[in-house]
This record gives sequence, structure tokens and C-alpha cells, in this order.
Amino acid sequence: MSTNKDNLQFRIITLALLMVAHLIAFSSPDTLVAHNYSISYSTFDTILIGSEPDYPPYCIVDEDGQPDGFSIELFMAAAKAAGLQVKIKIGIWEVIKNELADGKIDALPLVGRTPEREEIFGFTLPYLKLHGAVFVRKDTKDIHSLRDLTEKKLIIMKGDNADEYARRMNLSEDIFNTNTFEEAFQMLANGEGDAVITQRVMGLRLLENMENNTIKPLDINLPDFRQDFCFAVKKGNQELLNQLNEGLSVVIANDTYQHIYFKWFGPAIKAELSTEDIVRVALFIFFPLVIIMVVLWVLVLRKEVKRRTRRLRNEITNHKNTWHELTLKQEKLAASEDQIRLLLDSTAEGIYGIDNKGDCTLINKSAIELLGYENDSEIIGKNMHILIHHTKADGSRYPIDDCAIYNSFIAGKRTHVDTEVLWRKDGSSFPVEYYSYPIQQDEQVVGAVITFWDISDKKRTEKELLKLTEELELTVEKRTAELNEKVLKLDKSQQAMLYMVEDLNRITAELKNERRKLELSNKELEAFTYSVSHDLRAPMRAINGFSNFLLEDYADKLDQEGRRYLDTIKKNAIKMDKLITDLLSLSRVTKADLVYTTVDMQQMAKRAFEDMATTNEKQEFIFEVKNLPSIKGDATLLTQVWQNLVGNALKYCSKASVKNVEITAKDAKDEIVYKINDSGAGFNEKYKDKLFGMFQRLHRDNEFEGTGVGLAIVKRIITRHGGRVWAEGEVGQGARFYFALPKQL
Amino acid sequence: MDEINQVEILIVEDNPSDAEIALRAFKKNKLTNKILVVEDGEEALDYLFCKGQYATNNKVSRPKIILLDLKLPKINGLEVLKEIKSHPETKIIPVIVLTSSKEESDIIESYQLGVNSYIVKPVDFEKFVEAVRDLGFYWLLLNQLPRL
Repeated sequence: MSTNKDNLQFRIITLALLMVAHLIAFSSPDTLVAHNYSISYSTFDTILIGSEPDYPPYCIVDEDGQPDGFSIELFMAAAKAAGLQVKIKIGIWEVIKNELADGKIDALPLVGRTPEREEIFGFTLPYLKLHGAVFVRKDTKDIHSLRDLTEKKLIIMKGDNADEYARRMNLSEDIFNTNTFEEAFQMLANGEGDAVITQRVMGLRLLENMENNTIKPLDINLPDFRQDFCFAVKKGNQELLNQLNEGLSVVIANDTYQHIYFKWFGPAIKAELSTEDIVRVALFIFFPLVIIMVVLWVLVLRKEVKRRTRRLRNEITNHKNTWHELTLKQEKLAASEDQIRLLLDSTAEGIYGIDNKGDCTLINKSAIELLGYENDSEIIGKNMHILIHHTKADGSRYPIDDCAIYNSFIAGKRTHVDTEVLWRKDGSSFPVEYYSYPIQQDEQVVGAVITFWDISDKKRTEKELLKLTEELELTVEKRTAELNEKVLKLDKSQQAMLYMVEDLNRITAELKNERRKLELSNKELEAFTYSVSHDLRAPMRAINGFSNFLLEDYADKLDQEGRRYLDTIKKNAIKMDKLITDLLSLSRVTKADLVYTTVDMQQMAKRAFEDMATTNEKQEFIFEVKNLPSIKGDATLLTQVWQNLVGNALKYCSKASVKNVEITAKDAKDEIVYKINDSGAGFNEKYKDKLFGMFQRLHRDNEFEGTGVGLAIVKRIITRHGGRVWAEGEVGQGARFYFALPKQL
Repeated sequence: MDEINQVEILIVEDNPSDAEIALRAFKKNKLTNKILVVEDGEEALDYLFCKGQYATNNKVSRPKIILLDLKLPKINGLEVLKEIKSHPETKIIPVIVLTSSKEESDIIESYQLGVNSYIVKPVDFEKFVEAVRDLGFYWLLLNQLPRL
């Protein structure tokens, strides 16, 4: 690149100078004439040049066999501009080269400028720069640099720049020369060589013309093979040289060069063909493009930087957050650890953890205390089996391999033991119960946790319990023996009892029998009673009735005495009837089963009065019943009691001036005592024992009528209830009759 | 025969004295004359169902009321009552038991068999007469008898 630029500057300056020189030359031909230059306008000199037949597109032969090509055309133009006429002869390079050297021809249109050739030729300005290339077959893989050519067979046209270059550079030991490059390519295509070195453009053109597609140029740079191509004259032919230079300059200046260039190369050929175009392109397109690209690149970079910066910032923020979180987590962890420590130290059981080797990794306060140490530094890191678990309860050694804790957590199991002891710092031991749990991390056992507590108390208690149990067993045996004796005795008693029971059963059977008999006789009695109630009364009625009929129908036929007799008959009949009724009642009292209910005595007493008293009596009597409590008893029979007592009261007050009957009751703990008080005739207490006797009367029949059965009935009823009767009275001052009934049956 | 058919009161009573007293009561109070007295249960049923000595073309005889003693020879009063009250034709005749029995069992049984009234013969003659008169007034006059 820099060389180009230098060349460019050089060329521009040269060009400018030449142009200026030319102009000056045109304007004042006489003054500005250099010594080395001589221009003649009038005569057209003819020169003879040589041309290769096959060096496209520079020197070729057209269909008519005439020489043609870029170099030829250029030369012709330049010559024309210089006022020269040209004749061309065709020959192979080596030959024409030598002919120029020998002066047989005047110039050559296409000569590469080399230091060697400068010895023998004079060169014009270069009008072309060509680069060399290494051509190989397409399947050649082992040539990547010039060094790789050292062992290869190179095929080069004789005398070509490439040839001199190759030899100069000692590219290879094996250089085969041909007359033309076409031959060379042919050989290469046939495999008769490894590479061809020649001008890149020319080579490509040639291959194109040959319609070859098996050969390609490599990308190797041949730095020393950059050649300027000029017209060449024999060394010393300065005049011709000047002319040619002039002509060439003119051609270049007036665009003829461009024209010819475009004709042969088109506009898209590299800078070798028209350096000025390239320069121009570079100037106007390439550099701005570069600048734009640089700007864009900067912009892109800026964006990229921004992006990266943003990303980095984000990362920083993330890192900060993570850091923050980690700090928090750390704090939490610390807090958790504290909590765990607090928990551990607050249990009553001792807890310690061990690692895989059995060394202590953690221990809580209770454990330290139980083992009689001061602090955990005395224990942490030490092997727990050796420290506290070294001997068994019976004093025998406890090898570590047998250790229950060790064996269990190795196996990943937990264990529970209460038959061993632990040893304190002071050398004493205590019986212990412990649980050992393996600690697992990622399915690996990394240690164990052991919780333990002192069970000395428990052991002691167990011993005592055992002792007690033994004592108890002894006692039990003794007692059992005693009991057995008793049992035997009981058996005997039981036997006796069984006999008794048999007897009882027998007696019960007999009693049942008796009862049946009794029931039967009761039934007979009932029938009898029935009969009596029917059959005895009927005649009574007849006696009564017909006595009345007599009185009614035949009263006028009877005197007073007669009537009195009839009356007597009537009265007696009535009396007899009453007696029968009373007897019936009495018998019913005796036979009937008591039907216990809660009897409202208050109501019953009142009813008795209602039933027994006549209308007159109801008006005349002051009858009071005061709060009689209820009692359990047979309602029917108790009704009878009230009727009899109230009836009596009414009867015996009939002659009294004050007709008062008062009934009260008294609660006397286990019984209730009912009292009926009348203001009637009363009785002589001398005879009170007779009061309740059968058919006993304390008054004459003409005073108060009666059968003497009523009170007997009362007594019998009350007695059947488990109660008792008694009475008080005074003659002419009324009587008080009491009966007491038990509350409990 | 006509007289028998016009019997208004059938008295079933084995005790002639009691029967006579009852008769006298009805007569004295001018309740009715058409009274038939039978002395046992069998005769009572014969009369009612027109059997035996009372056989007629009729199926039943229907007095206005029947006074029935319980204690009767042969067939006793409760059985008679049962017969009367179980035959649809005689069921509707009011039956008044007039007996000296005060037994609860007799009373209950009678009512269970469908007795219309149960009266215990007062021992006192006067009361007896009164009772008959009362029941006569009640059943023949106050009480509405069905037309038979």
C-alpha cells in the first residue's frame, strides 16, 4: 500500500512535470529543448519491433496473422504520437530479446524491467505493472508458499522475467524452460511439471484462450516479481527512447492509453493495468469508503461499548444483589446456627455429633455437664469412643471395632442401646441410654448424632423393682397357700350350703304347696263370702219387706202392741243385715292383698265425710281436715278406715250440742300419725282396750246403734299396713282416735 | 198369649219374696200391670226366644225392660245377660240387673256384657221399693225406649 502511494506521488509528480514539459515544449519549441531530447515532426521514421506470438493479452497474433495486443496497440499509438512508423516482426521471446540486444530490432513493446536487463536495454516509463503468480494444477495440495517450490519442477518460458526471477531467487533446482507459456501450461496440465510461474493476468488469459480449467493460480504473493513493463530499446539508443517516452506520455495524457486499456481489459481489472485509474478509484471511492467504514465502525464500536457497559453494569448490579442476598443468607444462617445451638443447649439430654472417624464435631451443654467436663474444647476433635465409651459396664475393654455406635452408623442405620456405660472426665462411669442416628449428606454417611441420658436412677429403680417383685412373689406364694387352705374350707362350707339349699328348696316347695292350698281355701272363702252376701241378705229383705206390707196393708187390723212387734222384727232384720255387711267387710280386709298406692289422705277424709254425712249433718257439723300428708297404702281399705272413723264421729256427736270433727296429722320421723277428734259422747278410758275388739261396744244399743265391728275393722286394716291404732277420750267430752302409718313400706 | 206378648216388664228373680216386693213397687206406683215374673234363667231365655213353654210363631218376645237378678238357678244371670246382649233381636232391650251382689267382679262383668244398669238391692225394704219405683219411672217414662 505505501509503495503504491509513494509510486503514486512519484507518478503524479512525474506526470505533472512531463505535462508541463510537453506544454512548454509545444509553446516554445526552441527554448525548452533538453539535450537528450530531439523531436522531429516532419519525417516519420520507421522502426522495427518484435512481438511475441502468444503473450495475451499484451502480444498476440490475430486471425489474420497480424500482431496485436494491448502492448502492440499502445506501442503503435505511442509511436504515432512520436511520429514514428512501426514495422513489426513476430518471434519467440528469447529470439526477439536477443535481437534487440544485438540491435537487429529497434524496440520491444513489452519488456519487464529488471536489473539484469537494464544492463542491456533502455526502458521507457513503465506503462504496466504486472504481478507474478504460481500456477498449479487444481489438484495440487502441497504448495502453499515459495519455499514449497524448492523440490518442485518449475516450467517457465525461456528468458521471461519469471525465468530470471526464478533463477535469481533460486526458487527451485529444477527449472524447465519452454519457448512459450502455452507450452508450459500444456506441460503442467499433462503433469509433466509441478508449477508454472508467470504473470498472473497473462497466465489467466492464456488459460482462458486454451480453454483450460485444470490449472489455477495460487494466492502466493511473489513480492519480488512485481514488474514494471516498458518499451525497451537497445541500451544507448537514447533518441529513440526519448521519442518513445514522449509518445507514451502523450498517449497516457490524452486518454488513448485509457481507451486501449479498456479495450483489452475492461474496466474491472486490477490496479496493475492502470495505476492511475486505480489511484483515482482509491482516491475517490476507496478512501471515502474507508473513512465511512471507519466512521461506521466507530459507531458500531460505540454501540457495542454502550451495550457492553450496560451489560457490565447489569452484571455489577446482579453481583451486588447476589452479594446482598448472600449477606442476608449468611445472617440468617448465623441466626439459625444460634438457634440450633440454643436448642441443643436447652435440652436435658446430652447430644454430640461425630464424623466418620468418630471424632467429636459438636456437643451440647448437657452432654458436657453429664460427662463432667468444663467446656467443649476439651472434647471437640477427640475420638469419642476412646474418650468416653472405652470400657463396658462389667469393666471389660470395649474395642472400637465392636462399638455399637460405630457399627450402626457405618451401616447407615440407627441404634438404641441402654445396657452400656459412659465414662466421665474424673474416671467415674454412669449407666446410659442412647440413640445414635447416622447423618446423611447426598446419600453418603458423613457422621452420626448421639443423644444420651443418665439412667442411673432408672437402673436403681429397676433393681429395687426387681427386689420388690421377688419379695412380692414370695408373699404371693405364701398367700396363695393360705388361700388354697381357705378355698378348701370354703368348698366344705359350700357343700354344706348346697345341702342347705336343697333343704331350703324342699321347704320352699312345701311352702308353695301350702300357699296353693291357702289360695284354694281363700277362693273357697270368697265363694263363701259371696254366698253369704247374697243368700243371707235376701231373707232379710223379705222379713223387712213383708213386715212393712203388713204394716201398710193391715195396720188398721193391728193394735199398738202388734205394730210394736212388727217394728221389732224390722229393726232386728236391719241389724242383722248390717252385721252381715260388717262381717263381710272384715273378711274382705283379712283376705284381700294390699294394693299400695300413694293415697291422698286429705281427699279421702273429706270424701268420707261427704259420703257418710246426711244433708242435715253436713249443715250442722263443723268438719275440718287440716293438711293431711299423703301416705302409701291400699286405697280401698284406707277409705274404709276413714268411713268407719268419720261415721263413728258423726254418730257419737249426734246427741252433742257442739258437733265438731277435726282431723289432723303429725309427722313423726318414720311414720305419720293421723288424729280424728270429735266433740261427741266420748268414752270411758277404763275400757279403751276393748275399743277395738270384735263385737265390742262401750255403749248400749239404745244410746248409739252399732255392731261393734267397725273399729275392729279399722284396727285390722291399720295393722295390716304395719301401723297401730289407739284412742283417747273422756265421757261426755269427745274422743280422739289415732292411727299411725309407716312412711316406708 | 196376647197378654204375654204385651208384657212390658220381664222380671227374672228366683226369690219369690223379692219378686213380690218388686211387683208391689211397680203396682203401687201405677207404672204398669203387664209384668211377667220368671224364676230361673232358662225360663227367661225360653220366654225371650219363644222356646219351650213359650214357643210361638214369633222369633222373639220383646218386653220393654228386663229386670235381671244375677244369682239364679240353672243358668245364672250373667249367662242370661250374655245371651240377651249377643242376639241382635234382643240386644236392644234395656236390661237392668237388680241384685244383692255388690261384688266388683259382678259389676264389671255385667257392664262388659252390655248391661244397661246395675242396681244393688237395698237391704232396707223401703229403700228397695224406692229403688224399684225410681228405676221404673226412669226406664219407662223418662228414658226413651225404642219402638219394638
